[in-house]
Amino acid sequence: MPTLTIDGHTCTVDIGGTILDAARAVGIDVPTLCWYPSLTSVGNCRICLVSVEGTDKLLPACATAAEDGMRVTSESHAAVRSRQGVLGLLLERYPVEDIPAAEARNEFEALVRRYDVPTTHRAGLPPRDGDARDGDPAIRHDMSTCILCTRCVRACEEIQVVGVLDVAHRSDRAQIIVGADGNPEHAGCTWCGECVRVCPTGAIHDIIPMAVRAGDGTMLERPRSNAMPPIDRTVRSVCPYCAVGCQLDLEVRDDTVVHVRSPWIEEATPNRGSTCVKGRFGLDFVQHRDRLETPLIRRGWVKRDGRWIFDATHDTASMWPRRGGPWELIEEEGQTRKRGPRSNPLQRSTSGIGPLGDPRDRVATPLAWYAPFREATWDEALELSAQELTRLRDTSGPSSLAVLQSAKCSNEENYLLQRMFRGGLGTNNVDHCTRLCHSSSVSAMQQAMNTSAASGAMREVEDVADVIFLLGANTTESHPVFGAAIKRAVKRGATLIVCDPRRIELASRAHIHLRAMPGTDVAVMNGMLHHILALGLEDRDFIARRTHQFDRVRAAVQPYTPERASQISGVPAALIREAAERYARGPRSSTLWAMGLTQHATGTDIVTSLLNLILATGMIGRPGAAMLPIRGQNNVQGASDVGAIPMVYTDYQPVTNPDIRHRFAQEWGVPDDRIPLKAGLKVTQMVMDDSPVRGMYIMGENPILSDPQVAHAEHWFRELEFLAVQDIFLTETARYADVVLPGSSFAEKDGTFVNTERRIQLSRAAVPPPGDARRDLDILIELSNRIGLPSPYRDAAEVMDEIARVTPSWRGVSHARLESHAGLQYPVHDAEHGGTPFLFADAFPTTDGKATFFPVEYLPPAELPDDAYPFLLNTGRQMYHWHTGTMTRRSFALDARESTPIVELNPADAAAMGVGDGEEVVVASRRAEIRIAVRLSDRVSPGQVFIPMHYREAAVNLLTNPALDPVAHIPEFKVCAVSVHPANRGQSVHSATTPLQATSWTSASPAE
Amino acid sequence: MGYPHQPHPRESLVLSKHFGTPEARTLDGWKKRGGYQALEMALGMDPVAIQNVVKESGLRGRGGAGFPTGLKWSFMKIGDGKPHYLCCNADESEPGTFKDREIMRWTPHALIEGVAIGAYAIGAETAYIYIRGEFTEPIERMEAALVEARAAGIIGPNAMGTGKTVNVWVHKGAGAYICGEETALMNSIEGKRGNPRIKPPFPAVAGLFGMPTTINNVETLAAVPHILVNGAEWYKKLGRPDNPKSTGTKLWSVCGNIVRPGNYEVEMGFPFGEFLHEVCGGALPGRTLKAIIPGGSSVPIITLEEAERGLMDYEGMVAVGTMLGSAGCIVIDSAQSMPKQIARLARFYAHESCAQCTQCREGTAWTTKILERMVAGDGTAEDFDTLLEIAENMTGKTICVLSDSCATPVISGIQKFRHEFEALITRTTVHAVPVVVA
Repeated sequence: MPTLTIDGHTCTVDIGGTILDAARAVGIDVPTLCWYPSLTSVGNCRICLVSVEGTDKLLPACATAAEDGMRVTSESHAAVRSRQGVLGLLLERYPVEDIPAAEARNEFEALVRRYDVPTTHRAGLPPRDGDARDGDPAIRHDMSTCILCTRCVRACEEIQVVGVLDVAHRSDRAQIIVGADGNPEHAGCTWCGECVRVCPTGAIHDIIPMAVRAGDGTMLERPRSNAMPPIDRTVRSVCPYCAVGCQLDLEVRDDTVVHVRSPWIEEATPNRGSTCVKGRFGLDFVQHRDRLETPLIRRGWVKRDGRWIFDATHDTASMWPRRGGPWELIEEEGQTRKRGPRSNPLQRSTSGIGPLGDPRDRVATPLAWYAPFREATWDEALELSAQELTRLRDTSGPSSLAVLQSAKCSNEENYLLQRMFRGGLGTNNVDHCTRLCHSSSVSAMQQAMNTSAASGAMREVEDVADVIFLLGANTTESHPVFGAAIKRAVKRGATLIVCDPRRIELASRAHIHLRAMPGTDVAVMNGMLHHILALGLEDRDFIARRTHQFDRVRAAVQPYTPERASQISGVPAALIREAAERYARGPRSSTLWAMGLTQHATGTDIVTSLLNLILATGMIGRPGAAMLPIRGQNNVQGASDVGAIPMVYTDYQPVTNPDIRHRFAQEWGVPDDRIPLKAGLKVTQMVMDDSPVRGMYIMGENPILSDPQVAHAEHWFRELEFLAVQDIFLTETARYADVVLPGSSFAEKDGTFVNTERRIQLSRAAVPPPGDARRDLDILIELSNRIGLPSPYRDAAEVMDEIARVTPSWRGVSHARLESHAGLQYPVHDAEHGGTPFLFADAFPTTDGKATFFPVEYLPPAELPDDAYPFLLNTGRQMYHWHTGTMTRRSFALDARESTPIVELNPADAAAMGVGDGEEVVVASRRAEIRIAVRLSDRVSPGQVFIPMHYREAAVNLLTNPALDPVAHIPEFKVCAVSVHPANRGQSVHSATTPLQATSWTSASPAE
Repeated sequence: MGYPHQPHPRESLVLSKHFGTPEARTLDGWKKRGGYQALEMALGMDPVAIQNVVKESGLRGRGGAGFPTGLKWSFMKIGDGKPHYLCCNADESEPGTFKDREIMRWTPHALIEGVAIGAYAIGAETAYIYIRGEFTEPIERMEAALVEARAAGIIGPNAMGTGKTVNVWVHKGAGAYICGEETALMNSIEGKRGNPRIKPPFPAVAGLFGMPTTINNVETLAAVPHILVNGAEWYKKLGRPDNPKSTGTKLWSVCGNIVRPGNYEVEMGFPFGEFLHEVCGGALPGRTLKAIIPGGSSVPIITLEEAERGLMDYEGMVAVGTMLGSAGCIVIDSAQSMPKQIARLARFYAHESCAQCTQCREGTAWTTKILERMVAGDGTAEDFDTLLEIAENMTGKTICVLSDSCATPVISGIQKFRHEFEALITRTTVHAVPVVVA
């Protein structure tokens, strides 16, 4: 390792380290412009030139390898003169008249000040020009301040691996260009804002979608970030969208979040400072004018003789049926004509969002929705809620109550809510949306190795894995920051195998794309394992030492030759073989999956067949061999970990164990027998017709849109005796509530969240809740107290202390420790323990430390295309929206990108039925039909259609099949049969090709 | 000038011997003239032995830098398990230089032979000849010759039946001067923007596609077969005896205000004065020569008086304050305005800057702006300081030397012809007044 001296400081750097690395290590600030951590050093700005003894030329510190015995002077006379020269040259074309006298607004201006360079326009060269588009809702370019450092070009290419930007032309006409034709959408831009982050001058800056008050008190509508008035403070937070768990810096002014910045790239955050479009530009929902600011009580509830009763004749309650309101049912809304959509994004113009107007006027909660409610005091709302919950407990029994918790809320809030229902109201009817996403993964993983979380970390996948096997996960859209990490891994040389029915972005970058029919994954996995065994590529040592019952699986996969798997799945046998060999040969293969595997009536089977593959090849328990179910919501892992599921307390301790129940009862100060020893109802069981549930409490979920068979759900919720909803907007579900409790968004509270790699992170309150709204934790504490469960917590930290006491694998967790920005990956055994990046190096958490194989047979999906419903419907997410759209459709930048529902239809099918891009079709299933615009896309195979789940006006879950997985009770969101008709004709059109031949689907039993 | 080629008796014809003979372009014609004997010989030799012969001959790079060719080749570690590449730099774009063009036009097989020997000598199985895109005829000639050579089995997977692989490909440039810079050239072949790379790593360590690579000029490689056939000793004897550092013959492209412009091949060390006045015919009737840019537009401008003292080899040119460069000799006579000539050169460099480095991108543009303003009669006395200040910023501080190349004529021009600039500022006429009368 070379040792050198810089300005008299001696320092040692790794071989290959540069002079700049050495300088930074000893705290010497060599100025840089084109250099940026983790980007390739191009050494083009020439500002970092330093003097090195024995060399007559100045050398670029960023691009000169440190050598033993080098003597460097960072601020020699020559170096300073050279820097002044560089800055002077750059200033010649920089709009100097804009530089404020008082302060530097950006890195470049700071250097101009530091080297005291006069700003004179002697050359009279024209200002630099370049991309001058306007109308983009999030990112703007002002190329007159561009200094051509090319950081943006490299960040786009090397960090996000998109490559939208480049340098065009040469000489003084060189400029940064966007795509080949100036249209970022044509170049695949996802508006992640990486270019904004790295720009040293603000030439690329963001338009702040949030209203900001200027110094003189006037409102600045969507100001430019490089012209924003100074902020009051910056607060470190955790992104409320997906489970990557990106840390964000919220910039606050006048108690308003005005801007989102990502943390410095070198900080230890899961995102290494990157964000996606949602994280950077999708947080303005926090101060959307629809935010609930005061408790609401349904008209008709009156307090008589000290008790609340519902009097349908009171007030204007009689205007609507019980729990009704002046709105269309979602089913009716689904059939309405849709506003003309934007065309295919690949054909959009650059003219921006003009014709659509301000989305805040379009997707806001209709004022009529508020009509059945009156504003109430907190005392009234809490009193009514407590009274009704306890009344139902006492009259109909605890099992008539149920609670839907929230993967959007913190661990502390979820813990308190399940505590209230278990300890206070005596029911285990506690569940949340994990049921609808990874419950089948959890049941399969519990069965095989008694675990419920990822074994490894995202960083391992990016940096170490040799093979990445990604199944049913559209990572670049659903978890974009992790998707970029996978793309970087592929660039580094990792092999990517994608198994997905759609040709998603990662599939087109993959080495092997297994384009299996939806729901045929068991056949693919069994076929791969068959081939692995045939070649003897299994890890015999691992199987022998660490597993049970392999022979049963060996026998079960015997009939699944790659040819047979191919016949079922439609994947060529050669690809199955190649994928199997590459995966098994690793040497370090990571396995990632998401909803594409789990949301099936055979979800548990599918994941089990994948686990068999993992275990048979020993691809677990080593760095780079990660088992990573990619979680959806930002805290779906944490909510499950702290017991928001019907079978378990925190840490997956079963409710059926009396000893465990005793521990919790004691901690909560309630008698043991108040809490049943029987597991409670799952979400999908709660909403069934024969469910005993009469009263419900929902925190931060919107089940009417997210449950399968929306029409049924909408009906079911109206039949409840009591419904309380704690949320930040009047959602489709909340409009049926008796009481609406205005809660807090992520930006308004302290709390911890667990990301997909078991990392517990602390998010801090940046702003107060709006109006009279309260922090969710305060609402829960108050309500617990009112139903008779004393809850003496002062803040979230105290709740976490209790969680740590009752949760063995979180024993060492506390808010104080989480103050360090990296968070802690559980298990954290004690206050000294540093967390566990990867699990199962030596043993699985089973009684004998071994995992168990379970043989799985392929079963076809519950509903398959037929003559009447010839298309296969697949559902999922889009880049710019999130789940039921509660947040993203209230975000200016996001909704402007995708403002209308679409169905992805293969051009061949569209041609056969004579519909074009943007035209409206009717998509019908056995359950309902919706009108929706077509987006032509060859991402979907002929015979398949894809509809995103975010749109109330074309709610895809009206169509989906409520068939449930027998173990996990997860619905089959991913497969159902539909017909597609042009909306203006009404006659059914068959698929242009018939890939869904009956044999593919019915040859279920391999025993045949 | 003109063909059929009529060499001046004082020329020494090695490379240009067959210029103007269409038959020499064909494989048969070339073989008749002794072609491919050297390659056959080379393929039977150890690559290191070839390197040693070339080292011994004293051959130096003819592209401008004059780096000893054999030494450059010896940086390539034969048998390191990596693919090696040879790039032949035929992106001849330096203003005033047009010698490589003629080699490719008339003796394409000479270049193929040299390239094949060079590739074999550095352990490369693949060689690219990167030809300036505007050279449509040379590209055609080279491609036709390659087709012939491939068909005859001279190059390819079993070159001349020896079982050795030497593939040679032509890669067309797309019109950027900077792609003649060796690392930009490699980027260009790789399909990237032609930006020069930071050195180190040098091409011999990580060049084309990240692999060990050697880049040689056309004229350099074309000389190699002659060295192999005639021996290093023969080559060393070409040149002036008192300077063993410059050996062999050199092609000179002469253009500008002179009676007989054209390509001339003379031995190293030929007296520059005699060359200009005798071989090239001297000044046009009624004019006097004023300034010479002897090595392509990037080298310092010298006065006629300085040129007449010069000897035409690497050291001889340095001795009179300039450089041999690519031997593209631009002759300027008393009818020309030096500020105008220099402004034109600056404009060329400003236009060709790849725009990576701040000093080059901004400095060349600003320099041009000032010079053109001066030529237009709107200059000021402060402009001299500004120009020299910018030139200082542009010298020795950038990734490649394009920036320096722009600064060089500005600095030397102001130094030697300051009165012409001053006259423009004070609006007096100085035309037709030679600085130094011979």
